This record gives sequence, structure tokens and C-alpha cells, in this order.
Amino acid sequence: MLLELLQGGDSGGFLLIQDTANYCGRHLLKSFINAALQRDEDVHVFCFETSEEELKEGFQEVQRLHIHNAYEDPLGWTKKAVFTVLDFSLNDLTRVLKLTPHQKPPIVVIDSLSWVLRHVHTTTVCSTLHQLKKGGFVRAIIGLLHADMHQKGTVGSVRHLATSLITVTPSIMGDNCQAKITKRTKSGKVLQDEHTFSIKEDLTVMLLKSSNTAPQQTVQEEHEVDPTANLTFNLRLSDKEREAKEKLSLPFMFSKEKKKAILHSGANIGRILYEPDANDDFDQEDPDDDLDV
Amino acid sequence: MAAPMSGVGNPGVKSSSFNSTSFQKKTRSKLPSIPGTRPSVQNGQLLVSTGVTSLDFLLGGGLAVGAVLLIEEDRYDSYSRMILKYFLAEGVVCQHELFLASAQDSPDDILKELPSPIMDDVAMPKPMEQPRLSSDPQDSLEAMKIAWRYQNLPKVQSTLTSSSRFGHYYDVSKTMEAEIQQAAKCHRFYLPDHPNQTAPTHSPMLESYSALLKSLQEVIQKEGFEVAASSSKSRNILRIGLHSLGSSLWGDDLCCCDNPKHAHALTTFLYGLRALLRSSLAVAVVTVPSHLIQNRALMGRIAKLCDTAIALESFKGSERETNPLYKDYHGLLHVRQVPHLNCLASQFPDHKDLAFKLKRKQFSIERLHLPPDLSETVSRVSRVELPGAASAASVCGLSTSANKHLDF
Repeated sequence: MLLELLQGGDSGGFLLIQDTANYCGRHLLKSFINAALQRDEDVHVFCFETSEEELKEGFQEVQRLHIHNAYEDPLGWTKKAVFTVLDFSLNDLTRVLKLTPHQKPPIVVIDSLSWVLRHVHTTTVCSTLHQLKKGGFVRAIIGLLHADMHQKGTVGSVRHLATSLITVTPSIMGDNCQAKITKRTKSGKVLQDEHTFSIKEDLTVMLLKSSNTAPQQTVQEEHEVDPTANLTFNLRLSDKEREAKEKLSLPFMFSKEKKKAILHSGANIGRILYEPDANDDFDQEDPDDDLDV
Repeated sequence: MAAPMSGVGNPGVKSSSFNSTSFQKKTRSKLPSIPGTRPSVQNGQLLVSTGVTSLDFLLGGGLAVGAVLLIEEDRYDSYSRMILKYFLAEGVVCQHELFLASAQDSPDDILKELPSPIMDDVAMPKPMEQPRLSSDPQDSLEAMKIAWRYQNLPKVQSTLTSSSRFGHYYDVSKTMEAEIQQAAKCHRFYLPDHPNQTAPTHSPMLESYSALLKSLQEVIQKEGFEVAASSSKSRNILRIGLHSLGSSLWGDDLCCCDNPKHAHALTTFLYGLRALLRSSLAVAVVTVPSHLIQNRALMGRIAKLCDTAIALESFKGSERETNPLYKDYHGLLHVRQVPHLNCLASQFPDHKDLAFKLKRKQFSIERLHLPPDLSETVSRVSRVELPGAASAASVCGLSTSANKHLDF
């Protein structure tokens, strides 16, 4: 599923990469950017945590990569900042995106959301992301979130918004890393997958081993013992005996039509069939009407 | 009694039903007879179906008019959203009016996804559609040779149904046809369409909740849903669906922080909502993402402020998914609270170990059903995690496996 997400299937989604201090998710983020660039898509990166040079490292063609540098002056102290963290609102984001003309809706990458969440209230960030997602102006949003920097509720709220979530953790052996992916399709189905992968020098992802959901538990087959085996009398039937047995008509076995007539379906709840007989036919006026004299 | 689907487009047509008896209960109550409602057998309260027949049975026959049902969402909001859609679809089928409020998805999108009702003029689904434990195909009359009188009876009574049905069945794989859905009158409230008025108010409620409450009040007054309103025209019920209240998209930081600043916003709103509903012919279903709320005391307060509260816990993504006990089910259902309206004791369900399963034609809620353990080698360790004791089912529902230790 990781490769499908890299190919960028559906639009209008919010992909969240969640990492911790043990393993940095920025490499995976860069491979997503690389995959998007190779598909000839415009990518706008709002970088708060790394410098522009460090981010541009490793990409071959940077023509469609637009970096909005909020690293040097994130809070706007020098009054000459290109983009500050307080500008993270729908109007300002669309204004900045509109500065460069593009044919198709661009992909917005935010590195990282944790920085924004520390300065802007969570509800504002969530509603901005939601409106950006729904607005149709942007093709997809990819964000990086450091889960150990926030309270559980904050992380949970941002995760709740995401259509696809990738949690990266270091794998047990070596340099590789493990990714747990949860994807919500438009029909409401939730798909999950787990991969072990490593990222090569040219920022492509190489899958090493992918396990599908949970390991199957092997059920031990019991050696079934046939109870009719080692007995002193015969419990089995030969074919002729079986035929004769089935032909035998038992006392209360009826034909199919009679069964259907007697057996009413469960839908008729309490249908009372009543034929009034002679005793019921008495006149209320005359109390002596039922005397048999 | 289940009402077979009559044509929604022409309300004058009454379909003949095979399952109506000629006996009618004589009611001398002053309750208005509104289509889609029935009086409760316990206390005469007017009840409305939630759209899910198993849930109706759990709640004591249905949802009382004027009450609020709180659904604590599961982790990915799939099943709680499904129940909300069942509730709205039931409203369309019973020709009630709808009010849908959402901050995340547009109400039109939710209305487009309503499941389509299963319409047949013949009797409602036969009892044979209950889950069978054996893998036999549908029985024909030839199947039981000697005990054929018992053929139509269910094998194991594990689904919760009452003998008299109330409510309709829906097919989840198809969406409701556009004509039927548009025939129903629906009021919508989509939060991005109501920009925040920045006038500071002294109430602890947020602007989004105030706007929602005001909009609800307007609808109830204008359309004549108040109980005290003059009944010049025929009365109807307003079904209110509020999706994902308390999430950060409503502007509420209940889910984001451990000590939220707006701790009283949602509780004040629920108090106002319940007060509004008590004096009107309306029912509300509210879903809250309770798995995001860190403060359990707040969750308890929210549950206390609603009349009925249930919680859904889906197995997807948790370690319970691989537990062999739960392989037939999609999740667990916990009933947190059942109201006692106009009576001293409430009708709490007998069993606490309920699990749900979303099938194509039915959302069934069952007792967690353990088959008896005939083999010696199955470990009993996994039994300990089971919430509440579940007694073993009857043997006739099982495929018999050969027992090693047959003694003669």
C-alpha cells in the first residue's frame, strides 16, 4: 500500500506521516516529494524546521518545487519574513499559493505540523487543514507530525482528520524502518497494512518485507477419530441399507403439500380462524334463547 | 408490527399486509397518532424506531420522542456514521422531517449515502435470516425429515428481536434512490456556511453551538413541532442528527487538550438541546468522538446529560482483531445509560456482553456467543478477556466434532 500512496492515487486527501524521536520521518517525506516531482506535479513546501538548502538536497529536478521558507524567521521578528507561522490560515495560504501559476492543483507539503501546532491553536489548524482539503484548490496535503511533542488529544485530533496515516518506527534490524499504514477510502472502509522499507540515495523507497495485517494463527488440526471404527458391532450402513432406510415412511411424515399447508410461515402472527357454531348464536335480548326446551 | 414499505411518493396508498391481525388495542390516550411511531408497552411513551431493529430492542422498544441518543464513536467513525445514516433513512421512510448538522462533511453528502430500504409487500424477512452457525445452505422443506415442524424456528436465539416488529430493514450496498430521498424534507446546518460572529457572549457556549441551537429553535418553531402548538394540520416528528459534536472542527478544544478551556461548551449545549426537545415532537441522535476526549470525567458528564448513551468499539486496528473469539463480529457495543422517563426503573438490557456485526441487510447486535468447548486442547486463557459471562449455547446449533474420549 505504501507504493500506491507514493504514486498518489486519489486527490483531495490529507496524508499524515507521524514519527517520533527514534526515527525521523523526513526521509519518507522527501521521497513523497520526489515521487510527486517525477509525476510532473507542482509541489509547494512550507518548511519550518529545516533550511531551504537542506531540504533541496537530493532532488534532481527542482523546477516545480516551490519552497516557502519559514525557517529563518518563523515568527516574523525581522518584519521581512516571507512566510510566518501565524500566516497559517486559509486565506493566507491560498494567497501564497496563487502567487505562482499552475495548470493543475498543486500538492502542499507541510514540514512540520508540530511547529505550527505549537504556535497556533489546534482547532484553528484543524479547521484550516479541513477547509484546504475541501476547497478543491489543492490536490493533496502531506504533513509531518512529531507525535511525542504534543498531548495525546492533539495528536488524536489531527489523526482523525487524515485520510491516510503512516506511522514510522525504527525496525529491529539495522537501518530500515517500519511503517504502519491506515487508509480511509471514500466509501468509509478502513484498510491497514504494515511494511518494512528503506530509502535509497536517490530518494526512492525500497520495500523489504511486507506483512499483511496480522500473522495467521495456525490451528492445530486434531486427529479425528472415527467412533464407528473399533467396535464389536456394526454401526455403518452399506449403500443398500441406506436406501432402504430412506425409503421407510415414518408415521408422521407427510407429503410436501400437506407439510406446507400445516406449516405456516412465521410471518402470520396469530391469525385466528373461527367458525361460529350453533351455541354462539343467541340473542342478547332474550336470556332464555339458549335453553333447549 | 413491521410496516411493509408503502409507496413513499403517494401517501394515499395503503398496502395490504399479511401480518396484521384484526385485533387492535383500544387506546384512550391523547397521544397523537403519527406515522412511524408507536406507544411503548412499558409506560405508554411515544416511541420512534432508530432504524436498526436490534438497537430498538435494546433500548426498550425504540427511542422516546423528546429524548437524545448519544453514540460514542468508534475509532474511525465508520459504524457510528452508519447508525446515523440508518436513523435518517428511517426518517425518510416514515415520512418524518429531518435536520442534519455537520462540521466535517456537507449534509448533502451524508444524505446521498443513505442506505436503500428493502421494500417488499410480502412479510418481512423470515426468521431464517438470523445467523446460522452451521454452513448449510438455505433449508428447503426436504431438509428436516422427522422434525419438519421445527423448520422455520431459529436455531439459536442469539439476535435480539422481539416478536412484534417495528421498523424497516435497509440494504447497505445500495444507496437510497434520489426521488425517495428528495421527497423527505430536510433542514441542513453545515458549519462552514455559518461564519463566526465575533460578538463576545457571556455564555460558556461556543459560537458554533449557539448558532446550531438557534437554528434548531427556529426550525422547531416555524414548522410547528412544539407539543403545545395548535394542531391544525397533522403532526409529524423531527429527526435531528448531529454528527461528531465536540470534535475540533466545531471549534471545541474538548478533544485536543487535557484541560480544555471550553470545558463547559458542549455540556451547556446538550443541556439546552434537551430542554428544547422536551417540549417538542423531536428526537435527536448525537455522535461524539469520545476516544479523543482525554478527560473521563467530562465524558461522564456528557453521557449524563443525554438520555440514552451507547458506545461503539470497533475491532479494526486494535489487537482484538485477531482474537478468534471476535472473528464473526465487527465490534463491541456498550450500553452506558438507559433513561427512565416517567417511570421509576429503567429497562436495562439483560446482557452486558454485546457485539455488533454490519451485514448487508441488517445491522445486528448480538450477545457474544461462545460455542461450547468440545476439544481438550483449546487453551482457556483467552476466555478471561471476555467482558461479562456468556453462557454456552445449545448443542443443536453446532456442528458436532468427533470427541476423542467416547466411553462405552
